[in-house]
This record gives sequence, C-alpha cells and structure tokens, in this order.
Amino acid sequence: MTEKPGPEDTTLDAPTHSALKRLVVSLADSKRLMGIRYSDWLLGAPSIETGIAASSMAQDEWGHARLLYAMLKDLGADPLEAEHTRPMEAYASVDVLDAPFGDWAAVVAGMVLADGAITVALDAFCKGSFDPACSRIPKMLAEEEFHRSLGGAWYRRLAGCGSTEATELLRGATERMLPPLLRWLTADDQIEALAAAGFTAPGDAQVAAFRDAVRDVVAGVGVDVDAVRIREDAWDPSRGRGPGHPDADAVERARGDRNRALFVE
Amino acid sequence: MHEHVYDVFARKSRGDPLAHIGYVDALDDETARVYAWKTYDEEHWFEMCVVRRSAIIPVNREDGPFAGGGSEKP
Repeated sequence: MTEKPGPEDTTLDAPTHSALKRLVVSLADSKRLMGIRYSDWLLGAPSIETGIAASSMAQDEWGHARLLYAMLKDLGADPLEAEHTRPMEAYASVDVLDAPFGDWAAVVAGMVLADGAITVALDAFCKGSFDPACSRIPKMLAEEEFHRSLGGAWYRRLAGCGSTEATELLRGATERMLPPLLRWLTADDQIEALAAAGFTAPGDAQVAAFRDAVRDVVAGVGVDVDAVRIREDAWDPSRGRGPGHPDADAVERARGDRNRALFVE
Repeated sequence: MHEHVYDVFARKSRGDPLAHIGYVDALDDETARVYAWKTYDEEHWFEMCVVRRSAIIPVNREDGPFAGGGSEKP
C-alpha cells in the first residue's frame, strides 16, 4: 500500500478500517491497563527508587494510551467515547492485565513480558504505513527502552538472587503470562489483512520478535520461550483477545468514573 | 538484596558544566540508569550520567562527601 491514511481518510475499505480501529483500541487499552498495574506499585515497591520508577512508568503508559486513543480521531471515531464510556466487556487490553499483579515477581514478569509484548506490537505498527502511528510511536518506544531495561535488570536479579521462593514466583508468573501473550501476538484474520496492506507486521514475525526479545531473560528461571505452547482456547475477534475482561475496579479507574462530575476536556 | 549508591550528574544544555544533582540507591548499573532518569526528571536534561560512588577516587582529601566508598550520602 503506497497511500498513507491520515485525518479524515476515506481510502480504506470497511474491513480494513474496522481492523485498524480494533488494533488502535487494543494497543490503547493495553497501555491504559499497563499503567494501572504499574500504579498499584507506587507504594509497596521494594525501594523508594523503584516506586518512583513505577510511578513514572505509569505516567508513560497513560501518556501513550492518550496518544493512541487520539488516533481514533484519524479513523473517524470519538476518542472520548472510547476512553470514558465503554463497559468493561468492551475493553480490548491484553489478557494478562485483567487482574492486578499479586506480588513484585509478577510485576517484574509483567514489565518484561506484558510490556514487552505490547512494545513488539507497537514497533510493528510504527513501521507500517499508518501515518499517525509512524509519527507518534517512536517517542513511546524510546520511553519503553527504560521499562525494558528496568524489567530485565530486576528479572535477572530475582532469578539469580539464590532465593528459591523468588525464583519460583518469577517462573510461575512467567509460565502463566507467556501462552496468552504469544496468542495475543499471533495474528488472526484481521491482523493478517492489516499486515498484507502494510499497516503492521504479520503475526509470525511479531511472535518471533517477542521470543527474541525475552529468550535470554526468561532462560534465567529455566523457561524455554521457544518451547512454550501458544494458548489455543477461545478468541474474541471483535476485540482481538481472549474471553474475559479487566476487573471492574481497574475499568472504573481507567474511565475516571469516580470523578465524572468533575470531568473537563 | 544489596544496593549501591550511585551519584547522578547532569547538564541542561550542551555548554553547561556537569553538575551533581543527587544520588540513587540501585542494585546495579542498569537499574541506576533507570532510577536516575525517572527520579530526576524535573528538567529536560541534555545529558545525564551516573557513577557508582565507590568508583570515585578522592584527589585532595579523604573526608569529602564522595570519599565514603558508597556509604555516605551528601
């Protein structure tokens, strides 16, 4: 595809337009939920510096989400409606963010794996031919470099600290997260159509990029990412994720329900 | 887990002197980079770097604020 769609673009056929919108919502929702999961650890992280980093990463993720939701405007949809009015059943965020991280080991695994998978999908979208993505995502990827760095450092530290409990917690979180994340990156018909049109990378390429990004890190707890089976259960094509949805509290926070009366845009 | 003290230096513009702006406690060099960048983000820094305090070699006095080998926090 040589023409790059932008504001008020009318060159996209209906299925491509719909798939592009689903991809943007999926990435934006994932960013918003990732921010909420980081924000849960502003207090309670292992050190003051880690709490500050979690706070900063939460801000990064919410900023990324805001920029991604704004791309809906380029596709003729209302970002405010997407951000503030949808029921939790409509959220398209990656499955592993549906519930809070239970412990610091899960946060670290989430930093490396969940944030890592979202970054792979963002990178693929950035290298495609959707102009708003090409111009707005590079700054997000630069900020994500710090998330990757912190996640990797903490992962290696927990994996090598000599504590059986820490290693088991980290391995357990890793083994829970990998199958659904690999499934999330494995394209369905809509992503393959977007890849064929030049808007993103094919699913197998994204899965390969993700495996490359995390292979050495997860090997630290004895997990072979190439041997992990991709989850093959039910799939919701309308949202591009598995069944289920984020918990009610997270969605209320994401939508800003508690301060709706004070909402100013 | 054992942490080290890292001193943080930064300059706002290319020609500015590199100034000591604070410190972080970190597990290693990689976490020190992130903690410094995320903690001292009140400015749009042109350059920031960190150095493990134990690597600082005192030149003219042994009782200066950076001479503690990582245990002192000025």
